Amino acid sequence: MNANRIAIALAIAALLVAPLAAQQSLESAYRTTGQAVTAAFEPQRTVLQTSSAVILDGRKEMSYGIVISADGHILTKASEVADMEKISVTVDRTNYKEVSILATDPEWDVALLKIEATGLIPVVYAPVSDVPQGTWVVANGASSRTTRRALAGIVSAKIREIPAAGGAALGVVLSGKSKAIEIEEVTDGSGAQEAGLQNGDVILAIEGTKISKIEDIAEVLKDRKAGTKVKVVCRRGKREFTAEVRLSAKGEMFADTMNRNDMMSGDFSRRRSGFPRVMQHDILGSSRVTGGPLLDLEGRCIGMNIARANRAESFAIPVEDLKALAERLMKEAASGSAGKALHYNGVDPPGGGP
Amino acid sequence: MPLVWRSIHDMIPRLIGFFMASLAGCALAAEARPYVNDLKAPESRKDIEVIQSALVTALPKVRAATVCIELKEGSGSGVIVSEDGLVLTAAHVSTGVNKKVTVIMEDGTRLKARTLGLVADTDAAMIRITDEGKYPFVEIDRENSARLGDWVFALGHSGGFDKERGSVVRLGRLVRLANSTFQSDCILIGGDSGGPLFDLTGKLVAIHSRVGQQLQVNMHVPMSRFLEHWDGLLKGGFIGEGPFATKPVKGSGFLGLATDARKEGGLRVTKVGNKTPAETAGIKEGDILHSLNGTPLATREQLQALLKEMAAGDEAAFELERKGNRETLTLELGER
Repeated sequence: MNANRIAIALAIAALLVAPLAAQQSLESAYRTTGQAVTAAFEPQRTVLQTSSAVILDGRKEMSYGIVISADGHILTKASEVADMEKISVTVDRTNYKEVSILATDPEWDVALLKIEATGLIPVVYAPVSDVPQGTWVVANGASSRTTRRALAGIVSAKIREIPAAGGAALGVVLSGKSKAIEIEEVTDGSGAQEAGLQNGDVILAIEGTKISKIEDIAEVLKDRKAGTKVKVVCRRGKREFTAEVRLSAKGEMFADTMNRNDMMSGDFSRRRSGFPRVMQHDILGSSRVTGGPLLDLEGRCIGMNIARANRAESFAIPVEDLKALAERLMKEAASGSAGKALHYNGVDPPGGGP
Repeated sequence: MPLVWRSIHDMIPRLIGFFMASLAGCALAAEARPYVNDLKAPESRKDIEVIQSALVTALPKVRAATVCIELKEGSGSGVIVSEDGLVLTAAHVSTGVNKKVTVIMEDGTRLKARTLGLVADTDAAMIRITDEGKYPFVEIDRENSARLGDWVFALGHSGGFDKERGSVVRLGRLVRLANSTFQSDCILIGGDSGGPLFDLTGKLVAIHSRVGQQLQVNMHVPMSRFLEHWDGLLKGGFIGEGPFATKPVKGSGFLGLATDARKEGGLRVTKVGNKTPAETAGIKEGDILHSLNGTPLATREQLQALLKEMAAGDEAAFELERKGNRETLTLELGER
């Protein structure tokens, strides 16, 4: 991963540009994200129109999704739909209000949704993700109610793992006072909170290793990845219990760890590290434009947009991993085993027809 | 102006105005100019594929010559332009002349290097790799052949060197051209500073300098600004005054020790200040300083006079005697 050195900042300069003659500045339509340029990607846009999904919370566009079955299975970025109140999904021109979350994979941050639909056009997967850098890719830009827009960019770095920023953690603050390993605070949005850990709980063991001092926790977690789960034995009052806690990237639980590049990035995905494997591209919409398909020039799905890491780097799950993940989530959903791992299952789809 | 630059480093948005003069008319480049550059926008699958194949073809060679430049304060990017290791970068990356820096190649090889000259008002700078070798290098656009709307691509070590990731490539178009600045929509971020902007034939057209809050605002220093000061840059000149580098001030250097002259020559160190450059470098009480940068030392006044001519960040090489052993100790003067 990145050297921990601080990158020399490019100046953020609010530019006092002297008025320029028109011919010296390229009209916005002809810029890389401009209409005239993206018009050349109409065949790929057509695929986005039918086979990408817009995930809305009320009227607000929150993220995108990939249609993977004719009867309404859709993959999306899990952390973007976790706290939605009025979730609905638009595919093509139809808005579907009956949405259930069938399964999620915290490691990849992907959720499998189901809408009541028939005759949808699922994406066709590309054969491989390992195309040369500089190869065109196309993804969702901002959307209107009826029309998907396309943005084009290129594959821009090597396929690789993105380790959890700052290492993996339970998401608790421990009391330094007492001799026992006592939880003083549970971090919002952490795996510890999801697992129901509370202030005052005493951690006794993690994954079978006895915990007698704070350093023991670091030792047990040091080679583990964000998104995976660990069994934590705790004591609450006189009762002992075991909780399954999802590990989170330390760097993403605390907002005050913003570095200089984050500040110049504007919008970025809250969950943007701790992925087993990503491909990188330079289509840089807002962080809400994640979750949708990344297409090649043939209109095939070569990956799934999973994070806008910063203003210059976007990550996608490579197609090989995406296919395996989709199969696994579909199987989980079918066997009904998904429920026990789910935290989004309680979401009540708002009533009413489309 | 130096103050302005410092606050930019603190990420406080500041206003930097610069002149946009008209692009000088230029002769047609000798090499084949991809026709897609002369279309207002790509119109067909073929046009798109022409851009892609030019980029994919050019990329491996120019990537090999793109480097990360590591300093004490952080890292930036640069590009090698001669077989013997001349590197172009931004002045705000090199920050001064004749400073030691480390150049990191794409494969992780670390090389010793020294900053040569810089142009403080346009953000141009040169570095020389001092480890001997034959290095991959790119060709410079000497004809100023870039035009508005040309397709270009940026390389750089965004956010710092990452071997697993490599340098990051971004595609875009030239959206504004001026005498001292090109603007593209290749999106840059910290760590890209000093990195190269290429045309579709793989010729170096500019060096990354700065960005605006908007993604569309990515500024580069055109090759013409390097070429006009080429000899001065090679000679290690501190050229121009401006926001991108601060001229060292004579007498601003700080060493942090006290000495007494010895009858038999040299100065005996009588005190080393806490957390001073002298202490950090490992100078101890009782050490004998025989010379500074080759000049023999006989009196305290002599040492003071030599230091007065030096600035913060300058290198001081002492010939030092400790328990009968002589060694050379080199340190960087601190800020007074």
